[in-house]
Amino acid sequence: MGSSLKSFIKDVRNAKTFSDERTIITKQSAKIRTKLRDDHLSSSKKRENIQKLLYLYILGEPTHFAQVECINLIASDQFVDKRLGYLSTSLLLDESQDLLTLLTNLLNNDLNHPNNKYIVSLALSTLGSLSSYDLAKDLYPDVLHLIETSNDPFILSKSLQCLSKLISKDFELTILSILPIDIFVKKFFSNNKNDLLLTNNVWLGICKFLQSIVILLLSSFSSSSNSDLLSDQFLTDLNHCFSSIIPKLFYQLSSLNIKNYESSYDVQGVRDPFLQCEIILTLKYLFKLSKLSTNHFISLINDHYNKFMDLLTQLINNSSLNLNKNPNNAILYEITMTIFELEMDQSLRLLGVNILANFLKPYNNNNNNNNSTVMQGKRSKNNHINNSNSNNIKYVALNTLIKVIKYEPCAIAKHRKFISQCLYDTDISIKFKALELTFTILNKDNLVELTEELIKFLKDIFSNNNGTHDYVYFDIDESNDLINYTVDNFLKKCDLFDSNQDAIKLRSLFEILKIVGNMISIDQLNEFLIIINNIENWQVKINSLIENISNNMINNRIVTNNISWNLIMVWSIGEYGDSIITKANGNITSNHLINYLNQLNILYSQNFKNPLISNLSINKHSYSDYITMIQYILTSALKLSSKINQSDAHNIESLRQIILSHQKDSNLMLQIKSNQYESIFNQGINIKRIILDSMPKFIKQADNNNNTSDHNKIQPNQNRNNNQNELLLDLLSDINDNLNQEKSTSSGPITVSNNNHNSKPISKTTTLTLPKDNIDLIFKTDLLEVYSHIIDVQPGNAHLELFFKPIKTFVKSMHSLCAVSKQQKLTLGHLYPHNTDIEMNQIVKQSLKIVGSGKLKLRVKLTLVTVSSNSISDKTQEIQFDYKFNETI
Amino acid sequence: MGIRFILCFNKQGVVRLVRWYTVIDSGYVTQDFIAQIYRLISSRDHKHQSNFVEFSDTTKLVYKRYAGLYFVMGVDIDDEEPIYLSHIHLFIEVLDSFFGNVCELDIVFNFYKVYMVLDEMFLAGEIQEVSKDVLNERLQILDRLQ
Repeated sequence: MGSSLKSFIKDVRNAKTFSDERTIITKQSAKIRTKLRDDHLSSSKKRENIQKLLYLYILGEPTHFAQVECINLIASDQFVDKRLGYLSTSLLLDESQDLLTLLTNLLNNDLNHPNNKYIVSLALSTLGSLSSYDLAKDLYPDVLHLIETSNDPFILSKSLQCLSKLISKDFELTILSILPIDIFVKKFFSNNKNDLLLTNNVWLGICKFLQSIVILLLSSFSSSSNSDLLSDQFLTDLNHCFSSIIPKLFYQLSSLNIKNYESSYDVQGVRDPFLQCEIILTLKYLFKLSKLSTNHFISLINDHYNKFMDLLTQLINNSSLNLNKNPNNAILYEITMTIFELEMDQSLRLLGVNILANFLKPYNNNNNNNNSTVMQGKRSKNNHINNSNSNNIKYVALNTLIKVIKYEPCAIAKHRKFISQCLYDTDISIKFKALELTFTILNKDNLVELTEELIKFLKDIFSNNNGTHDYVYFDIDESNDLINYTVDNFLKKCDLFDSNQDAIKLRSLFEILKIVGNMISIDQLNEFLIIINNIENWQVKINSLIENISNNMINNRIVTNNISWNLIMVWSIGEYGDSIITKANGNITSNHLINYLNQLNILYSQNFKNPLISNLSINKHSYSDYITMIQYILTSALKLSSKINQSDAHNIESLRQIILSHQKDSNLMLQIKSNQYESIFNQGINIKRIILDSMPKFIKQADNNNNTSDHNKIQPNQNRNNNQNELLLDLLSDINDNLNQEKSTSSGPITVSNNNHNSKPISKTTTLTLPKDNIDLIFKTDLLEVYSHIIDVQPGNAHLELFFKPIKTFVKSMHSLCAVSKQQKLTLGHLYPHNTDIEMNQIVKQSLKIVGSGKLKLRVKLTLVTVSSNSISDKTQEIQFDYKFNETI
Repeated sequence: MGIRFILCFNKQGVVRLVRWYTVIDSGYVTQDFIAQIYRLISSRDHKHQSNFVEFSDTTKLVYKRYAGLYFVMGVDIDDEEPIYLSHIHLFIEVLDSFFGNVCELDIVFNFYKVYMVLDEMFLAGEIQEVSKDVLNERLQILDRLQ
């Protein structure tokens, strides 16, 4: 192993295995440690070791042991030592470390270094990146002194940047009577000969400095605590200064924007876009201050605002010519943000919207992009630049449109074509943004058009999902997200359809179901059912159903892989079978319907009983979804039996057979249902008609809680009483801050919480021990252990107990909340013995009763307060974990 | 405000350059933080996706790939992205003229010089010198200083 930096890097690179690399690094790290401890090490050797250390730092190895060494290096007289010392210090240390106090003196000396401006510059850079509160306070005067005395733009720009960083650390510094603003104006803006000082980088510094001051003022106005520090006199002076600087900023900005080639500041044909952006940003802040603050700064608006708006318009005109250059776009973007943030008048806002819409337009690839040739040879493909560049502006434009839509909704909606185009972009994040925006601009006027667009979009994703595209840019999960997002939001927007648009509404819904039916959840399906149920135009509803049913039923084609579609069809047959048969003029007979139900019954029964030979694609749908499906088939068969011609004994018998087919089902729920339905089936037709009448209109219950969107309760009208109970439960669950909580039936015990903060331990006499068998450790941290004990598992229900045992400290106010999967219901018992405070190694238990179906899964959330012996303060902790049992109910 | 960190790593995720301008969110181990960024960026399609990606509640990433190297800037969530892309590009251009057709190996072996370039351009997370000519000239001088 060589000793130079180069050979060390080579060794690391050449290491064949991970463990080789570790060995080399550990050895070298140890070696550096010993070397640095050696006082007689020559300064060049020392540098070499510190350089190696920095390489270790880049690799992410621990380097804290050498922090003091790095600081020592700064004290050296040699420039190279200082340079490396400052570099390593600013890398290895951060603002929170106490060691920084060691730097104060060193920095002080170097900031005042008489004849080497590079040393001064090093000190300024380091101070900028390590400006702790103390450093800021101690060294602020030195930096200020530099600004006052130096005439070198190099030092001036760095001092200004450093100063703006320092004042953001400590508000009082700004307020100290020596606030540099008057020095500053005198220095840079008093007469013309100062132009020599005002190079672009000094301008950058000035901008940053002004921004820092305005940001501080804004934050102090919003929090009244500091504002009494600001005297009226001070604010008046400040206003005066701002007022004299603004015209200079205007002038500088417009002269930069006029095409005037200057190679050194040229970025793809734009002159210093960095400074242009900074100046626009600074002006934005100044006018924001003047708009938001008290009347101290009102004169800024009065005197300069019109000019500013004119200037921005002019800049837009100058920059809009060349849209394929990133610097240009950056400037335009900055202007747009300014227009909207300052809420400028409408003409400018429309300009802003147009700029953003232009960003969305398909990109003209013919424009030669003479992007610089850096690394050209090594770039794998150069032509991607255009593409990703256009995606960049699309991304920011969509982002911004979403932010500003509240100002100009109509103007933005006009550009919906371009927004819709972005739906087909290959970048998933752009797709998402475009989708979000599409739903935001969706209103009554463009509803039909955009609905078509969305359906087209779903088709596109679906074909991508199934590999029919020759490209696949994103994975299945992502496209499922897109589909779910679209369906969810579309369902929410369905209220926008007028009652005379029922036909379009239904057509769209069915279209969506056809495309993505097997990718949406049962919950979303319920929304579909409600919408169909609530359509008032009977004629339209039935016609549309006939159309859809006849399409795949008469021809005996069953859609096998679209459970949602089938479910909706089955439900509709049950609800509207009679109307469908009458209306279809013999095209659809009760035979057809019954046959269809029968086929589906066979299909799904086979499927859930024997998932291995399933011929259905099991996309998102699980075992429990098939059971739901069969339940719908049973209900539909029952309902249909009351709606068809009673004298047709054959058909009635077929329906009865469908119901009976699950009488001995292994699934308890289906078995119960089958038996119950059979007894209804045998009732007289008049009673049946009353029981099995079509569903009344569903009315969405507005929740009183604020989290309505999370769980809209949907209940038929007649169930008022029940509702109230539900709401009560809901309130309780909110108190306990637990949204995941599964609610038990309203008659059962309230399962949400089992204890409250104030409950005192009632008895401490009972001590529990863990049962001997059937016990599993399901969760363990260094704080506590959780065991489960299964008492009883049967199909349909399970009974188990959880045991909690703190193993480290005494635990106070423990709350435990559990949730089970959607297909199951949980009844949660109290903690036993009744106390929330648990001694170390003591055990409390909690019983859980679960009914439903599916795998046993549990999510447990514990909040507790730990009391440790060596600290005074108690600490509240939250623990959450999931556990899957092997058992299934 | 401003740049929170500048990172450079290659396609394999080996870090070549790292500079923090703010203390990163506590609770993160620095290396995990970087690994997370690497995973996020390397998984993105480099031809068809934008150069911007939201990373956390406070930070978004602006990045660009040059040959096998990713250059990443973490910037404030409220900042405007496009100009930072120009920052990165300017940095690369300056590196290019400083090393003369720069490649990954230059950056690996002369990382301390790369830091010198970086610190001449950025101070405390703000861009501070933007003229290529000025930078080139000054870096030549600095490089010779002993």
